[in-house]
Formats: sequence, C-alpha cells, structure tokens
Amino acid sequence: MPDDKPTLIGQLARLSTVGLTLVASTAIGLLFGYLLDRWLGTTPWLTMLCTLFGIAGGFLNLFRELGILKRP
Amino acid sequence: MANTAAAPRSNGKGLWIALGVLAIANILIGMFLADRHVALEHAPIFQLPNFLHGIGVPGEFLPSYVTFTWMIMAFLVIGGVLGVRAMRAVPGTLQNVAEVILEAFQALVDQMIGKQGRQFIPLVGSLGLFILTSNLLGNIPGMPAPTANLNTTAALAVTVFIWYNIAGIRTHGPLKYLKHFCGPIPWLAPIMFPIEFFGHLARPISLSVRLFGNIFGEESVVIILLSLAWLGMPYLIWLGIMLPLSLFTAVVQTFIFIMLTMVYIAGAVEEGHDEEH
Repeated sequence: MPDDKPTLIGQLARLSTVGLTLVASTAIGLLFGYLLDRWLGTTPWLTMLCTLFGIAGGFLNLFRELGILKRP
Repeated sequence: MANTAAAPRSNGKGLWIALGVLAIANILIGMFLADRHVALEHAPIFQLPNFLHGIGVPGEFLPSYVTFTWMIMAFLVIGGVLGVRAMRAVPGTLQNVAEVILEAFQALVDQMIGKQGRQFIPLVGSLGLFILTSNLLGNIPGMPAPTANLNTTAALAVTVFIWYNIAGIRTHGPLKYLKHFCGPIPWLAPIMFPIEFFGHLARPISLSVRLFGNIFGEESVVIILLSLAWLGMPYLIWLGIMLPLSLFTAVVQTFIFIMLTMVYIAGAVEEGHDEEH
C-alpha cells in the first residue's frame, strides 16, 4: 500500500468517515430494503435483511478504519 | 527590577479594563441607539435572471449556488488558461503559481495513490481547487458558498463515486473488480457482497454530508451571530473567533475531501495488488 507513513491530516480524514459511514450505510440499507419491499411486495423481510446488511457494512468499515480487521 | 515585573501586570489589567469598557459601551449603544430589525437574509451580490424556465427551474433568478458555481468555474478556467498560456523556461508570476499548485497535488497523489496516481491529478486537483475556492468565498459577506448547499456537494461526491468505480473496473476488469466485494472466503461471498455494497453506497453520502454540514453549519452560526448585531459585540466575536475558525474549516474540509477521494481511488486501484502477493 502506498500510504505506509500516514500523515496527521490523512488519519484525520479517514477517522472522520467512521461515524458518518456507520449512520449512512444503515440508512442506505433501510432505504434500499424498503424500496425493494414496496416493489416486490414482501413487506417486512427484505427491509429487515437489508438493514442488517447495512448495519454490518457500517461496522465492517468501522473495524477496518480502526485497524482491527486487516484490509482485504 | 520591580518596574519590569510590575509593567506587564498593569498592562494586562489595562487590556481587560479596556475590553470591559468596550463591551459595556457596545451593549449600551446597542440597547438604546441601534436599529433592532435586522434582515437575516439578503440577496447575493450577483444574480442571473432565470433563463432555464424551459427545463423546469422555478423562480425569477437562478439559484445562487448555481450562479456562484459558474462564477468559480469561470475564475478557475480563466486562471488556469492564463497560467499555462505562454509557457516559458523562466516562469512568470502566474505560471509560477500554477507550477506550485500542480507540484503540491503531484506530491499528494504520489504519496497517497502511488505510481498510478498521476492519471487522477485532473480529478483531485479540480475538486480541491473548486472546493477550496468556494469554501473561502463563503467568508466574504454577500457571497454564498456553493458548498453550503447539499446539491453541490452531492454532485461532487457522486462524481467521485462513479470515478473510482470506473478506475477500479478499468484497472482490474469488471469480474475481478466485483470479486473484491466478495471478501476472501468463498462461502461467505453471498453475505459479504451486500455488506460491501451498502458500505460503498454509504461513501458518497458521508462525503457530501460532511462537507455540506461543516460549511452550512459555519454559515448558519455566522448568520445567527450577526443577527444579534444590535448588541455590538458580535462583530468582535465574528472577527476574532468565527472568521479564523471558518478559514481553518475551509482548508481542513478541502483536505479531507480530496484525501478521502484519493483513499477511495487507491482502494479501488490497488486492492488487486495485494492478492497477487
């Protein structure tokens, strides 16, 4: 990876994504599932599934940015 | 000895007394003399009549963020053309400025993306210059910052989103790029793919909302502060606290936006590199 010596401003940039991405991916999952449900008519299930996926995506990003998981 | 020790203390006390007298005078003048009806919003100093009724833009004038986006675009294009029009071995003033800016972006991109980074200088450079100019423009009274509107920042963030996906697809090919979304373990791929998908869709939202929120919030604070102008003090607070703070915010938000752009591009372009090892 090219950024082997992280600068302060680069770390600031990456860390400032954490909170917003956690919220935004949850909201994206909820919205996506809701629209899919309205389109397909399977009301509670896809909303639940996509929201869970969104939450998981937010936490995956959180753990990655904090360096707990290794970047793939 | 005693004189030199006593002098700073009395100076400090004098400063506080002067500030207190100033504050009291401000408040008294504001309470008894000044006009209390302050218009919170006023028209920007530069407006274009609405010539886009045909494609459904409402209103008498064009929205100010569109007008000022065009103004900044014209400023940057004219500046760029003037900077590189007559290239000489011994650069003049404008060419010097253009070279310094270009070298700064080259160093940034080389550090963050690596050897493939030079092809992304047009994107990163124009994003950085546009956001910096418009953030700084917002500090001039009468000029709204285009980045204080969610539409502008959403357009920038969607551009970044599309661009880094296309860069990844062009580097790795579509199938190999999609494989990066599926994670390292094959039987987990049906779960990993939607998780990564939502994670990537959240990126433009977080990019645009961060820039919009910072600049819009800063402008709102300044507006509310100046609506208390009949108290007198807010001008001092604005000059002493809010103006340096918003200049700092403008620069830092620009840096964060282009840093994240480069981080995303580096992630899309470089991820296959690790698999080959």
